[in-house]
Amino acid sequence: MSIRKNHRLSRRHVLRGLGGAAIALPLLDAMRSDSAHAGPGDTPKRLIIMYTPNGTVPANFWPSGNGPDFTLSPILAPLAAHQQDLLILGGLDLMSSLKGPGDAHQKGTGSCLTGTPLLEGDFAGDGGQSAGWAGGISIDQEVANHIGQDTPFASLELGVAVQDPANVGARISYRGAGQPLPPENSPYAAYQRLFGDSISDPLAVERRAARRRAVLDAVGDEHRALRDKLGGEDREKLENHLTAVEEIRDRLDEGVISFGGECQPLQQGALLDPNLVSNMPFMGKLQMDLMAMAMACDITRVGTIMWTRSVANHVFSFVDPNIKEAHHSLAHKGDEDAPKVAQNTAINAWYAEQMAYLITRLKAIPEGDGTVFDNTVILWTNEQAKGNNHSRYDMPYVLAGSAGGYFNTGRYLTRPDQPQVPHNKLLVSLLHAMDIDADSFGDPEFDTGPLSGLT
Amino acid sequence: MRELLPILVGLVVGATTTAGCQQPTADPDGQAEDESSTDTEGDGDGDGDGDEELTACEANIEPGPAPIRRLTRVEYNNTIYQLFGDNSQPANAFPADEVAGSFDNQAAALVVSPLLAEQYEIAAEQLASTHAPALMDQLPACGGVAPDPDSCTADAEAFITSFGKRAYRRPLTDDEVSTYIDLFITGTGLGETSYEPVVGVEVILQGMLQSPHFLYRVEFGAAELVAGGEDVVALTSYEIASRLSYLLWNTMPDASLFEAADADELQTAAQIEAQARRMMDTPRAREAVKNFHRQWLGLGRIEPQIAANGKNLEIYPDYSDDLLSLWRRETEAFIDDAVFEQGANVEVLFTANYTMMNKPLADFYGVTGPTTDAFERVDLDPSKYAGFLTHAGLLALYAKPDRSSPIHRGKFVREVLLCQSPPPPPDIVPEAPSVDESQTTRDQFLQHSADALCAGCHRLMDPLGFGFEHFDGIGRYRETEWGLAIDASGELIETDNDGPYDGAVELAAKLAASEQVKNCVATQWFQFGYGRTKTPEDSCSVEEIQADFAAANYDIKELIIALTLTDAFRYRHVITAEESP
Repeated sequence: MSIRKNHRLSRRHVLRGLGGAAIALPLLDAMRSDSAHAGPGDTPKRLIIMYTPNGTVPANFWPSGNGPDFTLSPILAPLAAHQQDLLILGGLDLMSSLKGPGDAHQKGTGSCLTGTPLLEGDFAGDGGQSAGWAGGISIDQEVANHIGQDTPFASLELGVAVQDPANVGARISYRGAGQPLPPENSPYAAYQRLFGDSISDPLAVERRAARRRAVLDAVGDEHRALRDKLGGEDREKLENHLTAVEEIRDRLDEGVISFGGECQPLQQGALLDPNLVSNMPFMGKLQMDLMAMAMACDITRVGTIMWTRSVANHVFSFVDPNIKEAHHSLAHKGDEDAPKVAQNTAINAWYAEQMAYLITRLKAIPEGDGTVFDNTVILWTNEQAKGNNHSRYDMPYVLAGSAGGYFNTGRYLTRPDQPQVPHNKLLVSLLHAMDIDADSFGDPEFDTGPLSGLT
Repeated sequence: MRELLPILVGLVVGATTTAGCQQPTADPDGQAEDESSTDTEGDGDGDGDGDEELTACEANIEPGPAPIRRLTRVEYNNTIYQLFGDNSQPANAFPADEVAGSFDNQAAALVVSPLLAEQYEIAAEQLASTHAPALMDQLPACGGVAPDPDSCTADAEAFITSFGKRAYRRPLTDDEVSTYIDLFITGTGLGETSYEPVVGVEVILQGMLQSPHFLYRVEFGAAELVAGGEDVVALTSYEIASRLSYLLWNTMPDASLFEAADADELQTAAQIEAQARRMMDTPRAREAVKNFHRQWLGLGRIEPQIAANGKNLEIYPDYSDDLLSLWRRETEAFIDDAVFEQGANVEVLFTANYTMMNKPLADFYGVTGPTTDAFERVDLDPSKYAGFLTHAGLLALYAKPDRSSPIHRGKFVREVLLCQSPPPPPDIVPEAPSVDESQTTRDQFLQHSADALCAGCHRLMDPLGFGFEHFDGIGRYRETEWGLAIDASGELIETDNDGPYDGAVELAAKLAASEQVKNCVATQWFQFGYGRTKTPEDSCSVEEIQADFAAANYDIKELIIALTLTDAFRYRHVITAEESP
């Protein structure tokens, strides 16, 4: 059960429910349970997306069987405890990444959550400098635009060992065309960002907030004045910067998160280097702990976790000491290279294990009669389907969680009758799952409504 | 920014139809080919011969685009150092600068995310609380037990005016001054006691360090349109001061530039050139040139990329991560010495038969000479080594953990040094062969020329990369590979200096003699210096840079001076503001 007594929406609820009297935690819990049963709109739904790169090993990824009767594959086996919560989606194609500038990895990454081709630009890739940022808003941000206003942070972008250079291969979230959001690699910095005020001296926090209000009001005015004198892309740049300043300013009036109930401070343990590949298992868990905590505290309802980056050359020797080659080059090994295929399979299975951990964490947070996970959907996406040929057909999509009963989980869906199904349909379905009306998302060429058969 | 020369465009088309190098359908990864026409001779808009074009360039002022530029992390840190004498490098905590082309300072790619905006705030708060107490010396009327608020505010106004001018790199407007006076007065009431001037100064600093006029290089130009241009204005002297300082020093203007700007003496080419020459002769210019090469050649990637991927210690037992920073520093020190101590031109960077090493690096290379950790000049065997191209760091960077990589090395030469983009690989890439001790690397990759699917594109890369086959996966010279004879012959094709060569030394000499390489260097400096790629409107500026570069016998310092004298540097188009939404 989350305690959100200081942020706007819940404060309003609190005031309405209790006449502004001091509240005891059990009462708040009871009130929240009521709201959880009040029907669509009041139930806080959550979207979490995890990205892993370099494609999968399709032969070891897809389950056998069909519909509700399916057996998990070697890669998905670590998710066995949650099989009834999964919706494994065969037959979807990253069509929007098959057009526009950029190379296969760049396009797959920019397109995976935006459903758009890339803009023209100067990012270096195979084929020279043709790729720019993605050409539209990403699904997480679209959802955040609809449901993020009720929480202190509209969304949370976390990364695990997302290495530089900072370019289109290292970003999945976009506030709009050409407006990427960087993931935070350090769980320590992210924790400080989300909860720093909650673990500091309240008087000092309030004093700082008063100064911030004064400063940001003046700074915001300067941004507005400059924006009004500019045109074209410069104007857009200032506009986006201004939006960020206004968000920070608005958050000052949200107050700080109070710990209580399921919303408890995290013990992050010894301070380790978040950028070291060998620390990935540890950092990944910390980031997932933080994501779960952010949901438990209702500090946000939308999150992404970007694991490494496109063309990641991380060496996963922590998965298997025999792995000595970088992920990307392993992913390029031929299907007949059994030892290397086995290693690549192990890497992808390790990622499935991480997803299972996140599910377990969310299932451990009570909410209403169930858990936070009941009102959540997690999407696992990749930028390719098959690493060794850059195929972006039959993308290895996995959904976990029903988003408050919207998805009918525990099934493996195939679409043998449909030759090409743009993944934009999946993105539309996610909008619907979050109670957002939409007929299309991303590139208008794939204006095709939601996927059938998911609910 | 990289051109596909017309001849290469022809090849791309040819490759599509014959060799089948490109993905035939469904995935048109192709380059924007219209870029190829930007600055080749006889470009579309000039309808006359060369003389007429030159006249047209002189008669017509065309600055090209001038996007607003956000400070990079390096620029932010340097600017904070200039403002406060603070070497804490707060921007290191910011998200990495977005990298486009080879560079982290490209206006189009640099954006401000909410996360970065928050980090600007945190950095501003930390800097303000660190430095406000000492800055109170500039507000004497605010000291004492019970300062008089009016006198204190008067001092604050003086501080706002003087500090603000340095932070905004121009004098503040009256409105801006009064905004900050208001903020100061508000701030004095936000301390622990009822009147705390130091908090007022803190909030001034916090505000200025988050102002768009600090975080971006904002330019509007002079009020009057210049004759000879279409909607073109000259930049103000303050704007020129910033352009000079961020180009040559990667930081804010110094006192001398401010003085020149105060006197409006950064308007003529002669005034600008005189400042540029003064600035070039300082250590900060050397840092900026280092910054350029770190990015252009990829020296900055030597440490993170090789450390992340590692090297195979069974094959390269002498490798350790400790070598990485030495490798980077070798090339940096060599270029720094060549450019600033020897006055070398760009050809020497390719052909010099010396390098800079310290003792640990000399031990790695197996040469004698240096006895300390300081880098010093070491002469090398000119039959084996030539300029930066045979430095271990670059050769190890463009290699695999367990072998050399003729493809990556050839791609580096083709893309980075010749400014040509090979067409993209097809989506379906056959597996690269694993290390085979019975064959040389070259023999294994000959498949590329045998297989029609690969040959069309790999002919642009492999025959350049084979020249480096005497250098192994950690960039060290080898006579043989697995006891087998090494063939380091190759051929330069689709360039202005085509022909066969044998080994890295001969390849380096051919590249050094290439006009295309020199124009490529100029193009890379254009992109780094101006924070953008060149456009068709820049043809006159580019011609001027190339001509000045050639006239100075390809002296790198003169190339940088030339960058400060173009239309693109001195002018901009008038900004057309849109209606507020």
